[in-house]
Amino acid sequence: MSQALAAGDAQAFGAALVGFDRARNCDVTMRVRIVASGLQGALKRFQVDSKLIDLAHHQVPDARHQLAYVLRLTDDAAHRTMDLVEQCCPLADQIAQQAERLIAAHGLAAPPEPIKAQIGQFLKQTGTSMAAVRSNLSEVLLTQGYQDLSGQIIRGVMALVDELEQALGDLVRIAGTDTGTGTGTASDTDSHSPAGSGSNARGHGPSVPGVNHGPAVCGQQDVDDLLSNLGM
Amino acid sequence: MQQNLNILVVDDFSTMRRIIKNLLHDLGYASVSEADDGNTALPLLKSGNFNFLITDWNMPGMPGLELLKQVRADARLGNMPVLMLTAEAKRDQIVEAVQAGVNGYVIKPFTAATLKEKIDKIMASRAAA
Repeated sequence: MSQALAAGDAQAFGAALVGFDRARNCDVTMRVRIVASGLQGALKRFQVDSKLIDLAHHQVPDARHQLAYVLRLTDDAAHRTMDLVEQCCPLADQIAQQAERLIAAHGLAAPPEPIKAQIGQFLKQTGTSMAAVRSNLSEVLLTQGYQDLSGQIIRGVMALVDELEQALGDLVRIAGTDTGTGTGTASDTDSHSPAGSGSNARGHGPSVPGVNHGPAVCGQQDVDDLLSNLGM
Repeated sequence: MQQNLNILVVDDFSTMRRIIKNLLHDLGYASVSEADDGNTALPLLKSGNFNFLITDWNMPGMPGLELLKQVRADARLGNMPVLMLTAEAKRDQIVEAVQAGVNGYVIKPFTAATLKEKIDKIMASRAAA
């Protein structure tokens, strides 16, 4: 450019000037591109980071509470079932022993006179004991409801693990393609929301002590009061 | 003993369906069928001769609330008594179920006495209407 200027060659000077400007613009465009892709990467990272922060700060601790509650539900149900079985066993033993004694007495050539009264007593005892056994069996059945409640909670935690896996996968993808050419989309995670989130339409699963579900009823009496207030 | 009810129990957990079915048998209801979500329940309701529905809320496929709405929207099934038996405990959910036309709401875990009381109450109000 300086040679063209010294030689007074206006055309050569103009051409050199245009070339200089083009090279400068090209450099600026490239820098802008790098800044833009960096920004894009940062935005994606921010979306994934926010998701991970929410998962780490809220949903994972909630899941821990939920699993602890499942443990308690299964523990309570197992103990209740065993309590009821333990109550039934002596009743059954008693009836069997009394029946054995009566059969032996009945088989004698000359049964003792009070056997009639003993049979009467035995039948009365059998009726009472069997009613207790029947009641306990019904309660054993009802106690198995823990499987439904714990199953719903475990399903929710499984959905959370899926979501966590997706968010971590997105993070790895973004970290591996930090120049902005990556295809990781943080918003993909939105389609995998756990069972516990979203609207009421699908339900939220059982309410777990220590996990905030918003205003909730506490037992059947609460439900009945609410229904009564609603005119039912 | 009330053997005249033909009941459909809808719950995705087979253990819970067995529990409810056994309790209903104890209460004298011998005719009890099962479905595992709203999608399987609806065709059964439309083709069958059911006159009482007991449904869970949170189920894969069609949830209980949607099943309730579909039942209420159906000309033939619209008047069927529906008892929601669910672990869903949010107050606004119960309000939503009432608005959708539920006849009773039992929260899990429940007792045999509660189930009996709610069915009896629904049937008594039906008889009085």
